[in-house]
Amino acid sequence: MPIRLRSLPLAPLLTAIPAFVVLFGFGMVAPDVLTTGNLWNIATQTSYLAIFTLGQTIVLLTAGLDLSIGMAVSYTSVVAALALVNVAAPGLAILAYLAAGVGLGLVIGAVNGFFVAIVGINPFIVTLGTYNILFALSSTVTGGFPVSDFPPLTSQILVDASVLAIPIPIVISAIVMAVVGFLLRRTVFGRSLYLIGSNPSMATAAGIRVRLHTLGAYLLCSGLGTFGGLLLSARAGSGEPNIGGSLALQTVAAAVIGGARLRGGKGGVLSALLGAFFITVLSNGMNLARIDGYIQQLCIGAIIILALLAEQISQNAERSS
Amino acid sequence: MRSARACLASLLGSGGMIVLLIVLTAAGTALVQPRFFNALNIINILRNAAILSVASMGQMLVMVAGGFDLSVGVIVALASVQTALLSGIIAGWMPDAPILALILATLLTMVTGALIGSVNGAFVSVFRLSPFMVTLAMSSVVMGVTFYVTKGIPIYGLPDAFMNGIGRGMIGRCPVVVVIAVAIVAAVIILQRATTLGRHIYAVGSSPHAARVSGVRVRPLLIGVYAVSGAAAAIAGILLTARIGSGQSTLGGTLALETIAASVVGGVSLLGGTGRAERVMLGALFLSLVANALNLLRIDSKYQTLVLGVVLIAAVCIESLSGVRRRHD
Amino acid sequence: MAGGAHLLELIGARKRFAGSVALDNVDFDLRAGEVHVLFGENGAGKSTLINVITGNVAPDAGEYRLAGAVVPHMTPRLARDSGLASVFQEFSLAPDLSVADNLFLGREPNRVTFLNARAMRKAAGEFLARLRFNVPPEALVSRLSRAERQMVEIAKALMDPHARILILDEPTASLTDADAEKLFAIIADLKKRGVGVIYVSHRMREIRQLADRITILRGGRLVATVPAGGVTESQLVELMVGRPIGDLYPKINHHPAEVRLAVEKLSSKDGRVRDVSLNVRAGEVVGLAGLVGCGKGEVGRLVFGLDAIAGGRVTVDGQAVGRPAPREMLRSGVCYFPADRGQDGLAFNRPVRENASAAALDLRAIGGGGLLRLREEARRVQSVLQRLSVRPLAPEQQVVQFSGGNRQKIMLARGLMRDIRVYLFDEPTVGIDIGAKAEIYALVRDLTEAGAAVLLSSSELPELLYLANRIYVMHEGAIVDELSGENKTEAAILACFFGRKQSDSAAGSRTAA
Repeated sequence: MPIRLRSLPLAPLLTAIPAFVVLFGFGMVAPDVLTTGNLWNIATQTSYLAIFTLGQTIVLLTAGLDLSIGMAVSYTSVVAALALVNVAAPGLAILAYLAAGVGLGLVIGAVNGFFVAIVGINPFIVTLGTYNILFALSSTVTGGFPVSDFPPLTSQILVDASVLAIPIPIVISAIVMAVVGFLLRRTVFGRSLYLIGSNPSMATAAGIRVRLHTLGAYLLCSGLGTFGGLLLSARAGSGEPNIGGSLALQTVAAAVIGGARLRGGKGGVLSALLGAFFITVLSNGMNLARIDGYIQQLCIGAIIILALLAEQISQNAERSS
Repeated sequence: MRSARACLASLLGSGGMIVLLIVLTAAGTALVQPRFFNALNIINILRNAAILSVASMGQMLVMVAGGFDLSVGVIVALASVQTALLSGIIAGWMPDAPILALILATLLTMVTGALIGSVNGAFVSVFRLSPFMVTLAMSSVVMGVTFYVTKGIPIYGLPDAFMNGIGRGMIGRCPVVVVIAVAIVAAVIILQRATTLGRHIYAVGSSPHAARVSGVRVRPLLIGVYAVSGAAAAIAGILLTARIGSGQSTLGGTLALETIAASVVGGVSLLGGTGRAERVMLGALFLSLVANALNLLRIDSKYQTLVLGVVLIAAVCIESLSGVRRRHD
Repeated sequence: MAGGAHLLELIGARKRFAGSVALDNVDFDLRAGEVHVLFGENGAGKSTLINVITGNVAPDAGEYRLAGAVVPHMTPRLARDSGLASVFQEFSLAPDLSVADNLFLGREPNRVTFLNARAMRKAAGEFLARLRFNVPPEALVSRLSRAERQMVEIAKALMDPHARILILDEPTASLTDADAEKLFAIIADLKKRGVGVIYVSHRMREIRQLADRITILRGGRLVATVPAGGVTESQLVELMVGRPIGDLYPKINHHPAEVRLAVEKLSSKDGRVRDVSLNVRAGEVVGLAGLVGCGKGEVGRLVFGLDAIAGGRVTVDGQAVGRPAPREMLRSGVCYFPADRGQDGLAFNRPVRENASAAALDLRAIGGGGLLRLREEARRVQSVLQRLSVRPLAPEQQVVQFSGGNRQKIMLARGLMRDIRVYLFDEPTVGIDIGAKAEIYALVRDLTEAGAAVLLSSSELPELLYLANRIYVMHEGAIVDELSGENKTEAAILACFFGRKQSDSAAGSRTAA
């Protein structure tokens, strides 16, 4: 029996190695990288990106894609911030913040999911359309201005608090990972996603409710994305119409590096986490090494292409072995 | 010529739908805003439609061959920057011939666009990567380079003849830009209808297997088609730069969306194998009319992207629900 | 006539794909002016051999000679240029182009530049007329019927006047009787001109009419190459199958009881099935026979709810089913197994366990309340895989690593994971080895004798004749006849293929060997 190049647990772990290599590489160029403060920074940034990447990974499982995730994050960031600053009681305000943000996110996910799963349109095209629609909405809802003056309670709860000396964002992220991981491995919904992505007509013939579950994937993706966006806004202290600008490419790069496949059927919590770690280490290192932001953009594009090539080569190797 | 008659037939046939859309949009706008019929406004619309048509020709050919090109917008930005930069640099070497410098600069820019397109095409055809992802990733790469070079600052120094002659120039009562665009569209029409290569592009999009087995050289063809798309985007960028008067790296932001929308409205199928240049040109005209209407009605330009997104999704829904094409059994 | 110079020789060809040997030291040669039939069941290696000959697939070993000269690397382009033309089952036509465009695709008169569309259309029309194929050259391929597309495929292969070798892969599978005769006339003409024809088929009638020599393949190996006159039909079938017929096909004791599945005047929206009425009783196997495209495969899909129904009724265990859908049909105890396991039947990069349990996720024991009970799932999957003798017994391995026969069993496993009383099989033994076939037939026997109702749609006549209690024959979407008992013969079925009921055809029935 030919030896498998990657079985599911192995692939994401393979990502961890290059990630550490990159980390230490940057550490040699810019010593600031390896300070405790920066390492905690990396951990926190990773936990945000991991949530976004997890959302994208879920959609990738079904052989789909969500290009609009970044714009959904931006738009809901501003709208939720409006709710936050306009409700008087701080506790209630935070609830309104979360509810408005995630609620709106679910609506966006429902729209995406409807056109992809029910009408049956190519997800690239649909989410390209919603990307632009949401971009327009997020740049106009407050005239393009951020919404600041968050009540202090917001950062106390969502940003600065800690549980057993672990910053709260990491804790929240870990909880989200655990819950979604359970969803993917131990529920019919999760199982269906993997089968749908691997072979949609097989899933239909096996009686799986393909359209319903695909819709669910887009709902979950937007829900996770906007939730992560709310956490990120809380950290920034304001609702920013640009906060999610490059998320589409970043999450795809992270997902694919972590082992998810564009063609569906592969990927999970571990792959999202490790992919996010890699991308975070990379951009953190580049920032500290004072590499221009535009070069970082270039790198993301190059990484995606390399990851795609790697996926294709390993697939060819599988086929002819 | 027979081709001309067939061309007219396709414009009026099921393309009649687009003509109807155009007439309705124009009429609707004119009713609400009589300024629509202002000569300057009409010329504006035609210029915009012309530039969009040029870029859409490339996108259409790629879509007919079964792919997508999301990097067109970024290539426009790069072309703008490159034209301005190079024309300044080359003019420095030959100060007595600024026009020649400009011409050389534009040629080099088109070649660059074609090269970027070829790289896209190579990844898609040789390595069999998803066209969406490849062109998306490539646009990130090219964007990074473009912004790095300019840091977002416009580049001036283009010869006035460029702006006056091309950007604002007229031949008789027709803008120069429109003449150039019509010439390009005509060339593509001839390619599609009357040449072997055109036939092969349809075949590759319709069934890559059939094309390959019949002896069509699929890989070079795909690389070539993406190269043409890159070159077309570069030309569109050059024309746009002529209108604006400086090299801007912020151009083309929504061009990918616009060219795909123009193509879909013009009857190009997302699956490949069908699509006619003349209808895509009408699609571009339709989108320009819509944008113009929003301007005249004083709606924020940011909402144009929203309308574009809605138009794209609506057009794709209509195509999918009407079950336009039944494929193999 | 037959027996001219060697046009093509293949010596010692070997090819291995993931998990199985497709060709094992096969020799093959073709002489000018002969029709050389390639005979063997699906999965015997015929397709691989043809792919090696046309250069689509590179063999792992073996010598290839064309007209005596060694060819180190055959490619499709080289094959074309050397005078090889082929017609396959998967059509090589671009659906959005016209017939004329397709005929000239890749051989346009003007390599790079301007076409004369009108001249091309005229030439195409004349060519088609000469072959007596009734297809308009300007029609779009996507609008043609399957038979018309087959004719265009054949015409396309014949377009090259320099073709020396023609390969036909089951060309009459989609043709009517009359069109098949036209094809045979063309072949006779080609023989006179010294063209060598490789004809892949397992239809006795054609082989008797056309063949000069017959090469029999089994399990990737060359069994024998014999002159057509020197072998009887029963010998051919036994050579093909490799064992006395009785060993392969088990004896099934049918005890038809109550009607489990009843279909009344069922029609599909796309017209491929028209007013079909049939029934299947508990404890019997009912066969569904017919040419490719006759609609027999679509009946199962319609009943199960995979395709859109335009009219008619489906009744399961006496209860009418309003609008069949896979989930509901599974709950009612009906399971459908698609013909193309690669396309519709299996998720290749998921483990066996997930594939096997895919149709049982809504059972309370496995996926009750939306939560998976992994231990129970593993337990059930293990016992089902054991029952089916899936080798290796590794439920966590990805399906892609298993051989064709085992893949088929893995697909069938999902019908054993829940209470199924009606089994709808569509080409269940395509492309799998003899051993696996025998095991699957044994499974069918066990299921039937335990009281299940089985509908078996198949293109393999021996399979139907030996396993089925009754056989419905379909032609162009409708049921032509129902055969049972003494009427259940190959000749009767073949007659029905072309629309004639058994009672219409002349006397003289011959039982299958």
